[in-house]
Amino acid sequence: MNIIELEGITKTYGTHKAVDDLTLHVPKGSIYGFIGPNGSGKTTTIRMIMNILYPDNGNIKVNGKELIGSQLGNVGYLPEERGLYSKMKVKDLIKFYGELKGVKNLDAEADNWLKKFDLTKWGDKKVEALSKGMSQKVQFIITVIDYPDLIILDEPFSGLDPVNAEIIKEEILKLRDKGSTIIFSTHDMSVAERMCDYIFMIHKGQKVLDGTLASIQEKFGEDTLRVQTELGMSALEDLRGVERVNDFGAIQEIRMEPHADSQEVLSSIMSKTKVIKFELTSPSLNDIFIRIARPENTEDHE
Amino acid sequence: MNKVWILVKREYKAAVRTKGFIVSLVLLPIMMGGGFAAYVLLEDKVDLKDKTVLVIDESQSVGDYLVKTAEYRNANEIIDEESGEKNGPAFLFKVIDKESDFEAQKLALSERVRDKEIHGFVHIGPDVINPGTDSDKTRIIYYAENSAMGNIRRWIANKSNDLIRQTRISEKGLDEAEVHSLFAFVDAEGMGLVSVDSKTGDVVDAKRSNELESFLVPYIMMLLIFMMIMMSAIPLLQAVMEEKSYRIAEVLLGSVTPWQFMLGKVLGGLAVSLTTAGIYIGGMFLTMSQMDDLPFTIPYDVLPWFFVYLIFAVVMYGSVMASLGSTCNDSKDAQNIQFPAMLPILIPMFLMMPLIQNPMSSFATWVSLFPPFTPMLMLVRQSTPVEIPMWQPILGVVGMLIFTILAVWAGGRIFRSSIIMVGKRPKFGTMIKYIIKG
Repeated sequence: MNIIELEGITKTYGTHKAVDDLTLHVPKGSIYGFIGPNGSGKTTTIRMIMNILYPDNGNIKVNGKELIGSQLGNVGYLPEERGLYSKMKVKDLIKFYGELKGVKNLDAEADNWLKKFDLTKWGDKKVEALSKGMSQKVQFIITVIDYPDLIILDEPFSGLDPVNAEIIKEEILKLRDKGSTIIFSTHDMSVAERMCDYIFMIHKGQKVLDGTLASIQEKFGEDTLRVQTELGMSALEDLRGVERVNDFGAIQEIRMEPHADSQEVLSSIMSKTKVIKFELTSPSLNDIFIRIARPENTEDHE
Repeated sequence: MNKVWILVKREYKAAVRTKGFIVSLVLLPIMMGGGFAAYVLLEDKVDLKDKTVLVIDESQSVGDYLVKTAEYRNANEIIDEESGEKNGPAFLFKVIDKESDFEAQKLALSERVRDKEIHGFVHIGPDVINPGTDSDKTRIIYYAENSAMGNIRRWIANKSNDLIRQTRISEKGLDEAEVHSLFAFVDAEGMGLVSVDSKTGDVVDAKRSNELESFLVPYIMMLLIFMMIMMSAIPLLQAVMEEKSYRIAEVLLGSVTPWQFMLGKVLGGLAVSLTTAGIYIGGMFLTMSQMDDLPFTIPYDVLPWFFVYLIFAVVMYGSVMASLGSTCNDSKDAQNIQFPAMLPILIPMFLMMPLIQNPMSSFATWVSLFPPFTPMLMLVRQSTPVEIPMWQPILGVVGMLIFTILAVWAGGRIFRSSIIMVGKRPKFGTMIKYIIKG
């Protein structure tokens, strides 16, 4: 069963079409990743799901109910641009949002979440005293304090250090295990690859990818060579059958031209340098993203 | 509704628990009473420095009279009988000759005034007693710094006219003592209306209406409601703008609808204003009930109306302010919009005096029925000793009710459309579009 059903939704700002005829179904209990370049329409889509913006055309159903004009229940939302009442005490703030979301045993629940995120001793401090990472954790707490059925997180990991990002990732997975559906937008492709059951990519307001990672990669085929050589990047210049090379420093990712023979490419490389590692694989999500989002698929190598 | 209540609670606590609230609670009555108190205090602080005034007398009589009268005043009227202390400045008048170059003489005398050598000088025209056709010759001109305000000018005018009148009467050959009664002045006293005492059934004379009551009660009422609006509705502009620019708004919108958000803010403001008004009015009445001889009657009948008007005013102006706040991205935007937005509250302040003086004029009636002005102006009219026909406040309430519903509805639609918009502040036309399209 789908928890969210978007049918042909469109949103226009002036003459700019922010979201163009978008149809998307999010199955219950899944983790759905929203990716796309800046300004592609992710946040507008999320705001329409949240009933903060109304679409110009199309239907939105959340939990089977038509949305426009109605109250959205049992949804946790962490917007991309987020702020907290700086003069409130941390625990009072958590309790305020908990009360708004109808949480029972408010005091105990607030303590529980503070403890989970190692913030117990900050409960009586004012929000303005928190570091950025700590206030991000508080923002996450107020989003999920009522264990909502649907959790929508717009860039939940931006600005977090790896330790805090890991803590939040773990909590997201736990919430999914308890039955919540999670939608999050991110610019970190490796996070999307590792965490999401489904990935949706929007570009210039239109859906360009939608499905599991495997199904998306399958569309692009095994056209990528991941190599590690002694000479590195310099050995990979002017190779026949190569469309593009992504340099990651220690390893390079080679995107082959359609119908190029991977064995031929390998022998060309071997003629120039010693190959340490060689793998034929599907393109990474990062590569797929760049292929779609680049202004044009130019031939210049990186 | 429950969510609105939670928002109201937070707003209320956030407002009343601040030091700013306590300070303004104390400061406002001080500021309000301050002007009045300063006036009363300073009135007793009379300047005791003697004033030398030179007289250029072309009438050949008024000048000497002023000198003599001033001498009499200095000897008899400026010493307090009980304490024996001087309670006013002596007036030292001295007649001097007019010089041939009168303009140069006036300039020289003016310099002496500027040098604080003398206080001022008077030029008395030659024909003041028997005015001819040349009006320039019948004038008394007093030259001094701030001459229009000083009470010396009034004193010179009074005394000169005493002499002029006496001279004219005696020139007609009448006996001055007989004529005196011709000039006896009879004042018209102000009295309220006669009514029936509800306990005894007797017809009772109304209290003598005094100017203090006619002015002070409406003035205090007006100032009080004005301050309540300034403390609770106006700050919503800034508060909503801040919640928008600090990105608190969108987080809240994850849990509440824009409509609940705005209503929570407005009703929170209302709760704050009711608390403040309760404290002030409670305090005022407690103080007044302890005072034996109040200079005016306590307007108990206006009090319920005060709260009715306060509630409407805060909800009405509050919704407008909150919705305008939602269109602002930073404090510069808010500053630009604040003054025009405050006009409906400032205009009644300018209209207060004419309405107190003439509460039953048709202008007063219609302007107080204009819904944005009703809370302040109808209250002012009802606070005067004049009885306003009951249909007027009732019609006022109906008008306010309709206008308030409209303001909240339109405000809600602007708020909903603007609260997460960034970039340029929407123009007036765009806001109208938001109201129509929603």
